[in-house]
Parts: sequence; structure tokens; C-alpha cells
Amino acid sequence: MKGTIFALAGGFFLTFQSVANATISDSIGTWQAATMTQFTGFVLALLIVVLLRDQTYQNLTQVPLLYASGGMLAAVVLYSNMTAVHRMGVTLTIGIFLIAQLITAVLIDGKGWFDMTKQKIGRTQIAGLALMIAGVIVLKW
Amino acid sequence: MAIGILLALLGGAFVCLQNTFNANVKKRVSVWSTTALVLLLGFLASLAAGLAFEGTGLFRFQAQPWFWFSGILGVGVVACVTQGVQILGPSRAISLIMVSQIFFGLMWDTLGWFGLETVPFTWQSLLGVLLISGGVLLFQLGPKLEQPERNRKSVGVRKSVKG
Repeated sequence: MKGTIFALAGGFFLTFQSVANATISDSIGTWQAATMTQFTGFVLALLIVVLLRDQTYQNLTQVPLLYASGGMLAAVVLYSNMTAVHRMGVTLTIGIFLIAQLITAVLIDGKGWFDMTKQKIGRTQIAGLALMIAGVIVLKW
Repeated sequence: MAIGILLALLGGAFVCLQNTFNANVKKRVSVWSTTALVLLLGFLASLAAGLAFEGTGLFRFQAQPWFWFSGILGVGVVACVTQGVQILGPSRAISLIMVSQIFFGLMWDTLGWFGLETVPFTWQSLLGVLLISGGVLLFQLGPKLEQPERNRKSVGVRKSVKG
């Protein structure tokens, strides 16, 4: 029950974040919005790290540079998300984002790229993706 | 429309790529330190892109006060997703998160809160959202149903977290 509430709230926050970002970008510009939301998020996360007296960042030296620099991809994610929400609304944007996410997951896990454990992709996963694509088509028809 | 679809496809692929990279960071570094790092780099990359495209015009804007609190949402995402995954396990948590995401999307399009342009509700759009949700559940939970013994962890070990 508690886990379910956290998961549902997580989805709520994700959608709220997309909407807020799109609204902010409408008012002050896309790059301004991206820069600002990442900055305020960073300050808050840093505060939490300090409050928790979290020292694990010292292990960062053991993390390959490519993985450690993943955060930079956010610039592309935020730009595409804000622009897509403006052009076609939240529902369709999220639907297509989810499809692209899962297709990429299939690729990465299927090939075992980026130190991910290689996994066999089952028929249910392909069927699930097909169902999602059908959903997006129905949504937009 | 076509540009919107292409950007959403690109963005979604990058979300997954980023989650994969972050998962490798989290093998050694705690969730909150990883989050702080990811947001710091996201900030620097956005700042660099903004300066490249707009020069110092990047700093000429009039923000409403609540814009400065937007970071709370990102922290809310990380906190809830981490807890959900811990309690329910990745596949079940992530399928619920994704379903919740798209239903709240439909709600938001319909209500148009926060100055968002309203997209009128239709039964067809509800059907679309139901199909997408069904697809997510099949994708995330299907392998568990298929091979309950062998394939416990499957593709579901993925986070749907955005930036």
C-alpha cells in the first residue's frame, strides 16, 4: 500500500515537473527554464546530501567518466520535453516518451550495453510496446 | 506535430540512456549524491547550451517567484521513485509510476492547470491512455508472469525518472 502510494506520487511528480517546466519555459524561454530548474534542483539535492552527511560522492573517482557525465543529457531531455509539451500536450508527449524509453531499454538490455546485465527480450515485451504504439495512435487519431 | 513526435522520441531515448548511466553511478555513490551530481551537470549543460544559443540574453528574464521552487519537484520525483522501488521492487514500481504519469497527463491536459493549454477530454483519448497503460504493464510485468522462477529481474530493472 505504502509502496503503491509512493509509486503513484512519483508519477504525479514526473508529470507535474513536465507541466511546470513547459509553463516556465513559456514565460522566460526554454534554456532559461532548463538552467533554472536544474539549478534549483541541484541546490536542494546538495542540501539533502549535506544534511544526511553523505560522503559517498568520494567514490565518484571509481566511476567511469562516461557514466558520471550522464547528467549532461538532461539538456537534450528538457529541451525535447518542453518543446513537445508545447506542440502536442502532456498526454501524447508522455506516451511517446515512454515508448522511446522502453525501446531504448530493450536495445540496451538486449545487447548488454553500458555494463547492463544482458537480458533476453520476451514476447510480452514486444507485445507491450505494440500495445503502447496502438495507444498513441488511438490518442492522436 | 511531426517535430513534437521526433523530439519526444529523442527525449525518451535520452531518458533511458541517462537512467542507465545513473544506475552505474549508483553502484558506488548514494542516491542523493548521484542526484546532486546529475542536476549539477544538467545545470551546467543547460547553461552552456543557453549561452551558445542566446548569449547573455540567457540572463534577461523575469521569473515569477514560484519558478525558484521548481527544483522541489525533481527532489519529489527522486524521493518517491526510490521509496516505491525499494518497497515494491523495480518492475512493479516502474510500471505503476509510468501508468500514474500518463493518467495524470490526461488529467492535466483536460484541466489545463498552471497555464497549460487545455486539450479537451474525449473518450478516445481515455481509450488511448488505457491502451498505453496496458502496454506498460505487459512490458514490465509480462516476463514475471511468463517465467516466475527464472527471470526475476528482467527488463523491469529500469527507472523511468526524468531529469
